Amino acid sequence: MNRMPVFPRVIASIAVLLLVVTSGCGGNTSNTGTSPKSENLGTGNKPRRVAVIISTLNNPWFVVLGETARDRAIELGDEATLFDSQNDTAKEAAHFDNVIAAGYTAIIFNPTDADGSIANVKRAKEAGIPVFCIDREINSTDAATAQLLSDNYSGCVELGKYFVESVGEEGSYVELLGLVGDNNTWNRSKGFHSVVDRYPGLKMVAQQSADFDRNKAMEVMESILQSQDDLDAVFCGNDAMAMGAYQALLAAGKADQVRVFGYDGSDDVVTSISQGKIAATVMQYPKVMARTAAEYAHEYLANGKRDFEQKIPVNVDLVTRENIGDFTGFGRKE
Amino acid sequence: MSDKLTIWQHASRLQPLLVLILMIVAMSLLSDRFLTAANGWNIMRQISVNVCLSIGMTMVILSGGIDLSVGSVLALAGAITAGLIKSAVPMPWLGVELQFTTWGAIVCGLIVGWFLGWFNGQMITRLKIPPFVATLGMLSIARGLTMLWTKGFPITGLGEGFAILGTRTALGAPTPVWIAAGLVGLFVVITKKTRLGRSIYAVGGNEQTARLSGLNVNRIKVIVYSLAGVLSAVAGLIMTSRLDSAQPNAGMGYELDSIAAVVIGGTSLSGGRGSVLGTVIGCLIIGVLNSGLVLLDVSPFWQQVVKGSVILVAVAIDRMRESGE
Repeated sequence: MNRMPVFPRVIASIAVLLLVVTSGCGGNTSNTGTSPKSENLGTGNKPRRVAVIISTLNNPWFVVLGETARDRAIELGDEATLFDSQNDTAKEAAHFDNVIAAGYTAIIFNPTDADGSIANVKRAKEAGIPVFCIDREINSTDAATAQLLSDNYSGCVELGKYFVESVGEEGSYVELLGLVGDNNTWNRSKGFHSVVDRYPGLKMVAQQSADFDRNKAMEVMESILQSQDDLDAVFCGNDAMAMGAYQALLAAGKADQVRVFGYDGSDDVVTSISQGKIAATVMQYPKVMARTAAEYAHEYLANGKRDFEQKIPVNVDLVTRENIGDFTGFGRKE
Repeated sequence: MSDKLTIWQHASRLQPLLVLILMIVAMSLLSDRFLTAANGWNIMRQISVNVCLSIGMTMVILSGGIDLSVGSVLALAGAITAGLIKSAVPMPWLGVELQFTTWGAIVCGLIVGWFLGWFNGQMITRLKIPPFVATLGMLSIARGLTMLWTKGFPITGLGEGFAILGTRTALGAPTPVWIAAGLVGLFVVITKKTRLGRSIYAVGGNEQTARLSGLNVNRIKVIVYSLAGVLSAVAGLIMTSRLDSAQPNAGMGYELDSIAAVVIGGTSLSGGRGSVLGTVIGCLIIGVLNSGLVLLDVSPFWQQVVKGSVILVAVAIDRMRESGE
């Protein structure tokens, strides 16, 4: 009976919603597009098309990684498109199929899984498309053209040393792990424990997973605080969890007493270190890795370079109150 | 004889409550830190987000539907509010920028929640898309819009005014608990005492009969999904305020926690039977379990197994009782 007035209302309402969304994004116009029109002919005659396939865009760190690679490729005059695998190796395989079928000429690749992603890389190799892995590695030395890797283990060894230095050789601490099915989670944890476990006075009173998630970390930390009165420190497997843990400590009035350690070098943690809220983090350089990979892909396509080293470690740096002046979110100050 | 039956029926209604009490006793025996006032408030504060989501989910399920989009709607509403608090909206054609007040931004977040819920309702009633599929579509759309709005980055630093929603206490209780308790009260009354509430049960019990007896089934469904959308938005605001940050991936998988709470609380997935209070008990059971397992420092691998098992056991008891009746 009131069928007629509803549809105009639907459309009007959609219009209102879209209006809000577009005007909101308009404030900070960023490049979501793909390609430059000019100088796409390059030396090789055929267009240089780079696919940037990232494990997940659900985390700012990976957004920076993916967007920097894409933007750098576009700067160099290549076409580039960003793909999101949503942490799912099957989705990643579908991206590879599409990318190969669509005639892309190079892939910058952040794998979802060290073993599960090997087959994808091999398929691209068979199709004659070079693959440059960034940040996370694949457990194969003859599939990718080159791998630019952030060293999670040694980064956390450095963090572990600083941890002992600032907390002391006696005390109790909590560890918040990332996703328990993820390589990085355990590489970080092992690096940290390789140092800290040598001090029997440092007791780990709880080890819990918070899935690399800020909200989960806050809730887990709140529960842990119910059972632990005198904590000295919290080691978190990434910066999002460090912020969540800090939030819980702040609410419990223990932010001054418990030192929080993170990993990643995200902008909010860098700011928090400068304000004395968080003790330290490890800076990985997503922008450096991404830019280098885009440059390698360009060298390969435009200048015919083939002799890349298989594994190229990208340095990570400890960021503390003492050297915070040198850093900004996701990298060094320029 | 009939007296006996009603006593039995009353007792069986209390089954989720018995499970809850049993769990509290067990946790208290295992950890001396569990049964403290501080931990009690802690659990209540933690479940307030799920309570808000689950009240809406209860009504949707009572009406014979399902809403998978609650987690994404939570994220979008939180992100919109945070974005509007944080920065002004430029209006190029007017040459001005609109800067929302904190309350204005909160209202916008609630409107977004309402709209997405209303849209779910329209897809289900006008286009005859099954609720599972319609809200599955919305799950993806709302998540995508959240990503577009935030560009994948958290929106942080939302100011003191907004922090009240999630981090303060009033009259001895945390504000999220007040909000959740208020909503529980309101919706207990709505479902039990109003015409709308009775209509929801009727639609879920037997849609055909409800239609034939003159109820405007479509209108009731649209109202139910709209309310679920608003309640998801409230949950999103509480969570954003607690974190002082709107996370683009907030609320992922929360639809499952919410459905679990509803089902553990004794609401039938086929509709028409259940209650908001049962759902609150379901939320408490999940909250006690989450907090207790961390307090006992149970390995994260085992936690998932234990949680799944408790859900299965609680529902199995419920089904046994149903077939016994």
